[in-house]
Amino acid sequence: MTGSNNETKKLTTKDYTKTTLRAYFLQNGFNYSNYQGLGYALTMFPAFKKLYGDDPARLSEELKDNCEFYNTNPNLLPFITSIHLAMAESGMKYSEIRGIKMALMGPLAGIGDSLSQFCLAPLFSTIFASMAMDGMSFAPLGFLFAMNFVLLGIKMVMGTYGRKLGTSMIDKLSEKMGVISDAAGMIGVTVIAGLAATFVKMKVALTFAAGEVQEGVKQSVMDIQGMLDKIAPALLPILYTMLMYYLIKKKHVTTYWLVLITVVLGVLLSVLGVLA
Amino acid sequence: MVEISIVQALLIGLWTAFCYMGNLWGIYTNRCIVLSFGVGVILGDIPTALQCGAIGELAFMGFGVGAGGTVPPNPIGPGIIGTLMAITMSSVTPESALPISIPFAVAIQFLQTAIYTVRAGAPESAAHALEKQDFNKFRRSANMTVILFGVAGFALGFLGAFSMDTLSKLVEMIPQWLLDGLTVAGGMLPAIGFAMIMSVMLKKELIPFALLGYICAAYFSLPIIGIALVGAVFAIKHYNEAGKTAVAAASAAEAQEVEHDDWI
Repeated sequence: MTGSNNETKKLTTKDYTKTTLRAYFLQNGFNYSNYQGLGYALTMFPAFKKLYGDDPARLSEELKDNCEFYNTNPNLLPFITSIHLAMAESGMKYSEIRGIKMALMGPLAGIGDSLSQFCLAPLFSTIFASMAMDGMSFAPLGFLFAMNFVLLGIKMVMGTYGRKLGTSMIDKLSEKMGVISDAAGMIGVTVIAGLAATFVKMKVALTFAAGEVQEGVKQSVMDIQGMLDKIAPALLPILYTMLMYYLIKKKHVTTYWLVLITVVLGVLLSVLGVLA
Repeated sequence: MVEISIVQALLIGLWTAFCYMGNLWGIYTNRCIVLSFGVGVILGDIPTALQCGAIGELAFMGFGVGAGGTVPPNPIGPGIIGTLMAITMSSVTPESALPISIPFAVAIQFLQTAIYTVRAGAPESAAHALEKQDFNKFRRSANMTVILFGVAGFALGFLGAFSMDTLSKLVEMIPQWLLDGLTVAGGMLPAIGFAMIMSVMLKKELIPFALLGYICAAYFSLPIIGIALVGAVFAIKHYNEAGKTAVAAASAAEAQEVEHDDWI
């Protein structure tokens, strides 16, 4: 590696922070040919401009190189861009940086997607949706605030660690992530099972008259839902959720079919007077 | 029938545009709970909007934001269109608004796929611009997807609000038995969302926790935060035990350092 051929400028903490925050723009150019490729170059643009601004040919070449296919999680991206900038700042060429940039893409996408979409989002979404259900009007803003507060925090930490610790951090992170995602999974599964029991609504409308029908005599009516509630409350909602789970997991039925089946079934059972 | 003024329709358009653009920025505005809240504020019916948002949010939870560039059905369906219907039409309940608006969610999903596909030529034009060292054109090109999202979002929100009259006439043609049935179906639909998310999260070791959640909710009627805390008890225990050896060593070293500092 020869850094002598170009006297690259130094970046300040402000430049790193700016690039970290520009991770929000990663998908501004999302498309089906290079996915986040354009967005990656766009994210790096101001920092590149500072590094190579004196040499427009070099700047345009760097940007062009960085437009290649990319697809990772925006919240962990600052880790990658900070490493990228640290290496570029030390005078390394893109061909030398590219290996680590591409190697980090997959693992960080996996870790980041499972963290943000399958741990944080369901957790906050369920908590605040149940508050909204109870009519608390701060719930939607609470959801937005909680979600973005945590995600911004992750971005900032990632950006800082990327600059400081470099590549050794990734092993440590995925090691710890296993335990964290197990722990988050425990909360998640508990909450979602609880929610399914609370928010899936299925009530049996059928009632049976006990004994023979006699005019003028008050019938004692057998209320099926009341009986079910005594044995196991929310039994039908849980069974239906389990049926859906079975169809998704074992039969690989798509969501479209499930929605269609549910709507048809709901209407049918309602018309027949089984459910209300 | 609540009338929607042109200003309100414009505001709903802008709100939808912002939320839909937030989908790309990853700021979680494109969720039913957030989308419908804006509609509720603009039309002055927050309680109905909260109901619509919560029901839609729970049903759509499993669909998420789409991992790895896949496109899920879009929450704008129930969040904007469904909420508009529930607020403006007396015959539509928050529960029945969900199934009625699902076709919109699917249509918007296709629209989004279309935008990504149309934009597949973008890298080429960006490279072209860079060859000519036209950095402004490069930036325009790299920002075009989010701009298209804004335009599409505005059109959906504005037209949705503006054409509520027509939509309401169509909804009025739906017979009562079907509306009742759709309300029942709306109560069942969240089961799909929960099952979807479970299919990703549930492992054999976690089955006891599913049972735990059910017991807490069904038998003890605990509020959701209470259930989350019960789960957290086990999560913290697991975290402590799993990291015991590694953490013990690290914390011992740390403690020593702190002590050391104190002495000086």
